[in-house]
Amino acid sequence: MLFSQTRKHNVVSTATATRVARVDGFVVLPGPARVALLRLGKVSGAGTLLAWEDLQSFGPDAVTVATDTVIRPARDTVEQRAEDNDLEIIGKRVLTERGMELGSVTDVDFDPETGAVTSLITKAETISGSRLIGLGGYAVVVSA
Amino acid sequence: MSTPTPMLLLRASELTGRPVVTLGGELVAEIKDVVFDRTGGRIAGFTLRNPGLFSRSRKDSLPWSGVHGVGRDAVMVADEAVLIPAKELAPRKQAHKANVLEDRVLTDKGRDLGRVVDVVLHSGRSLDVVGYEVQASEALGTAGRRVFIPLPNTMAVSGENLIVPAAATEFVSEDLAGFGAAVEAFRSRLREGTDDAL
Repeated sequence: MLFSQTRKHNVVSTATATRVARVDGFVVLPGPARVALLRLGKVSGAGTLLAWEDLQSFGPDAVTVATDTVIRPARDTVEQRAEDNDLEIIGKRVLTERGMELGSVTDVDFDPETGAVTSLITKAETISGSRLIGLGGYAVVVSA
Repeated sequence: MSTPTPMLLLRASELTGRPVVTLGGELVAEIKDVVFDRTGGRIAGFTLRNPGLFSRSRKDSLPWSGVHGVGRDAVMVADEAVLIPAKELAPRKQAHKANVLEDRVLTDKGRDLGRVVDVVLHSGRSLDVVGYEVQASEALGTAGRRVFIPLPNTMAVSGENLIVPAAATEFVSEDLAGFGAAVEAFRSRLREGTDDAL
């Protein structure tokens, strides 16, 4: 499933059957490459993050959670940067560990069952998610 | 021979301004200048400056041992922990790009080949000095033009004596693309020990 297909999906609580938020973005972490958190908009509380392990399911039309209390604020500096959108992967330049730029990320393919990132997509190529080494404020770094 | 891939060559000046990026994807600094190893014909490391328009120099530097990769678009490092104080990288007033530039290149037979305008590096497992780009003198027949002169592989880069073997003049190149082959040919000639005949 592609990030571009799922952005703006509603997050629905199965306890109340109501929309509790909207998917605004994805926080990808390396080692192994995975969607660690969802960044949410249109939330009612203070937090905007939803950890992958707190999802009930990532469906084709909506994301479900058991209750909206799992939506929370950042717990550490990495999560804080994620919440501030500093670690957004879409649009970020891709560098190999040898210092060669491969363009910028236009989309990401992931497994909605596990959250595993299967590939990073740039204009020119599709890069296996297994090559992801790091993701920072400046670049996505992949193995050569 | 032992060159399965063509040499990846770059000018030392091209490295200035190149971003220094961690494997975690964070921008650490920009390359300010190249610091040459006094004796080995290699790069000792880089001085750094802060990125941006009003970039200022920094008190830390990047030793070659801390470099993970030097590419066209960035110099990669494992993390910021590899940086050392600039004083430790160049403890003495040692050979530095700024000192080499403008110096004259002489052959060991005493001919002046021209004035150094840049240093040519080969990027491989280490970053080695393989030649000088010079503003050619009359001696080269291409007077006034910029040409590339190969160096032996253990040549010291020093601000005082830029002496090259006379045979180097036979391997002068007018473009960087053809220079890799010229360096290889020159060095293999030196290994065969036929330099004395010249």
